[in-house]
Amino acid sequence: MSERPRRSRGVVLAAAGLVAAVWSALMLSRTADDRAAEADPLPGLPPVGQLDGFRADAWYMPDDSTLGFVEIPGGPFTMGSDPGVDSLAFDIEWWGEGRVQGTPDIPTFFIGRFEVTVAQYAAFVGDTRHPVPDTRTLQDPPSHPVAWVSWPDAVAYARWLDTRLRTPPGALPDSLAGLVADGWRVALPTEAQWEKAARGTDARIYPWGDAPRTDRANFRAASPVPVGSFPCPECAYPVADMAGNVWEWTRSPFRPYPFDDSIERIDLSADALWIMRGGSFGDTEQYVRAANRGGADPGARRAIIGFRVALVRD
Amino acid sequence: MRQSRMSTPEPAARAAHTSTLSALDSIFRQTRGTVTLLLPAALGITIGLLSLTPRVQGSALLTQSFLGAAGFVLAWAALLAFTARRGGWAPTIEISLRAQHYIQACCQMAVLAYWGWHWRPVYAMAVLLAAQVVFAYAFSMLLAWSRGERYVLGFGPVPIIFSINLFLWFRDDWFWLQFLMVGVGFLGKEFVRWHREGRHVHIFNPSAFALGLFSLVLIATGTTDLTWGREIASTLTLAPHIYLYLFLVGLVVMHFFSITLIAGTAAAVLFGLSALYASVTGVPYFVDSEIPTAVFLGLHLLVTDPSTSPRTPLGKSLFGALYGLGVFALYSILGAAGAPTFYDKLLCVPLLNLSVRGIDHFVRNVGARREAGARRPDSLTPSVLFPGGMRNLAAMGVWVAFFAIMTAAGRTDGRHPGDSVPFWQAACADGRANACERLLSIEASYCGDNSAWACNELGLHYAEGLVVEADAELGERYFARACELRFQPACVNLVDPGTNARAEPRSLDLRLLLREGGLNLMQAPESELYLRACDHGWRFACDPRLGSAPTGGEPPSGVA
Repeated sequence: MSERPRRSRGVVLAAAGLVAAVWSALMLSRTADDRAAEADPLPGLPPVGQLDGFRADAWYMPDDSTLGFVEIPGGPFTMGSDPGVDSLAFDIEWWGEGRVQGTPDIPTFFIGRFEVTVAQYAAFVGDTRHPVPDTRTLQDPPSHPVAWVSWPDAVAYARWLDTRLRTPPGALPDSLAGLVADGWRVALPTEAQWEKAARGTDARIYPWGDAPRTDRANFRAASPVPVGSFPCPECAYPVADMAGNVWEWTRSPFRPYPFDDSIERIDLSADALWIMRGGSFGDTEQYVRAANRGGADPGARRAIIGFRVALVRD
Repeated sequence: MRQSRMSTPEPAARAAHTSTLSALDSIFRQTRGTVTLLLPAALGITIGLLSLTPRVQGSALLTQSFLGAAGFVLAWAALLAFTARRGGWAPTIEISLRAQHYIQACCQMAVLAYWGWHWRPVYAMAVLLAAQVVFAYAFSMLLAWSRGERYVLGFGPVPIIFSINLFLWFRDDWFWLQFLMVGVGFLGKEFVRWHREGRHVHIFNPSAFALGLFSLVLIATGTTDLTWGREIASTLTLAPHIYLYLFLVGLVVMHFFSITLIAGTAAAVLFGLSALYASVTGVPYFVDSEIPTAVFLGLHLLVTDPSTSPRTPLGKSLFGALYGLGVFALYSILGAAGAPTFYDKLLCVPLLNLSVRGIDHFVRNVGARREAGARRPDSLTPSVLFPGGMRNLAAMGVWVAFFAIMTAAGRTDGRHPGDSVPFWQAACADGRANACERLLSIEASYCGDNSAWACNELGLHYAEGLVVEADAELGERYFARACELRFQPACVNLVDPGTNARAEPRSLDLRLLLREGGLNLMQAPESELYLRACDHGWRFACDPRLGSAPTGGEPPSGVA
């Protein structure tokens, strides 16, 4: 047998073809990713459609004259716990300065009637492409309180809603439009605002009174329920789920009482811990008391933590 | 560095000591017959068997890449067997063991072993590396026979594969491209050729050709993330005294293959340009080194292939100087284009290979002018002063002295001023060239590593708009990231924009900020950490109450 005759024609073209093939494969992989992102910008975003009691044309906010914001009149209220009255109180609820409770005087504000829902949060994510690191955030039914959100997620939602209320796609209800024009802005409530909205001015232990009632709030349960599922005619204000369902982020850092809402006096060298309030579906009556204070890592995304928003004026 | 084409004879002009080694080491033997086609088939099966290892089985796409490579080799071997039987010809093998192949492979293996000891993903690549070597043997063998050539079996493919893998790996899901890169390297060697010094030789260093070509494609398509390129370029520094180690390994290569002038000149040019830039601008050019370690590795083991570089002393020096200049320029060009800068050392090698004939021509012209103008043309030339192998030894002596001086001056393994964030903060505040861009880049890198302090600083830069164009949305994203990492000032900045709250780095941040490219400080005691921070210019860390006792005087001020 002899050696094979030498052949080399076309091989340069073949090599060039190889490079072109690699190029094409890489380009296709990239454009495919881009197309997938465009076609399905929010994987896992549930189709919401119409939701009873909520306005699909207004980011699924409650369908009333203020899109669900309830006025809480200004004035003093009792904050913190008196262990003589409330045997379940924790030490961190004591006011200090020789008193068990304080009486901060806070100006009028508005607070969301309901916890922010999955549908509302999905509208925010759909509008902003805000990252959703945990796919469980949007997996619950649209009327459930949103959970699996961090503290920065909650702040971002409030900021977005504030911007949208100023540039609404349609007409805002007159009363809300007036508030926005008057300088009110959307923010997370401080813990003082939250506690006043929960217990009113008569120092009650729970939003409905001094005794725990499982027919008034979703606690000692296995899962969250749609917002507003528990009627509360005895509550100080028409605000739902201030006990149980999900813990709610506030805009107050975790620090000992007496309550101080100044940003300037926050200890910047300490690890961040922010206040959440209200307890969750999985908690006992001790944790769903209106004065109970929870502290959480701002990066925590949990099934038991959600939030509600407020309208405040600086 | 790479070797001459396997099927061509040794260059006549190679150094005397290399010829001696080759004569001692080479064994020639010929095998004929279609039975030899069983060899690439066996190699294909070997790749298939390697796909059964746990490392490969861990990824379905990696397993498919292995099976695809094995199938490709087997199909090619089968096709060749069919055409051989029909055409009445038989593939032949000649065995030739060349020193330049196995010595170079040993040096590369030594680098991989030392680097891998300190960065374990290298060891995790062992099976993948073995598969590439097997694939390279099969591919080069089948390619030679398909072109009707005799296959010269030796260690040739090994240094090509090691060289590629010292600089670029594709991630598991894209590993088929690694096999393709190997194939392209051999195709380039086989088909992209020219006439040089009366011989038909390949133009490009095979590994550098494949690396350069794939680098271009990755940059153009913005798909660098499909590779381990960034990690490879930055993790060599995890190995302590890596410059000294590469230097010592490089001496072996320099001794055997007379490439001292190339590597030495390239290093000298880079050191010189870095020093010049630093003296003019007050900041280092390569951020945290005088020569990045991966570039230092490249100038010893990538650019120095005797077959694709000049052979005269002047030509080698020019070649090395051009490499230094090329890397220096590409670093800025790539940075300005927003491309990863680690490609600098890879992209210029093919261009340099293309310049070799021009360099040869230039050297010949210079030689001719000297002969025409000098009464005694060879009176003081290096060849007279240092005949034969003595010339390389003399060059090595100069290189050793140069490296010793650079090391003594703290320009190699010593702590570099650019390793300090306060240095770049001060340089940026002073308006030094590119310092603010570097500061942003460094902070972005640390933020990516989960340093909350760095994320907050980045957020502030974008919120304030002092050192970079203001971008409130981007600033908020950095604040959110830092806040989720429990950095309280970032939470304050997020909830109350305009506060611009800052704080000193926490100990966890310092463990990231003081790594100097790779040290693991996670277990370091806090006192040691603060001492180190103080030494890096963090003034707050010099407080004795933090456990760091300054060695005396003021902490380093930062800007050189």
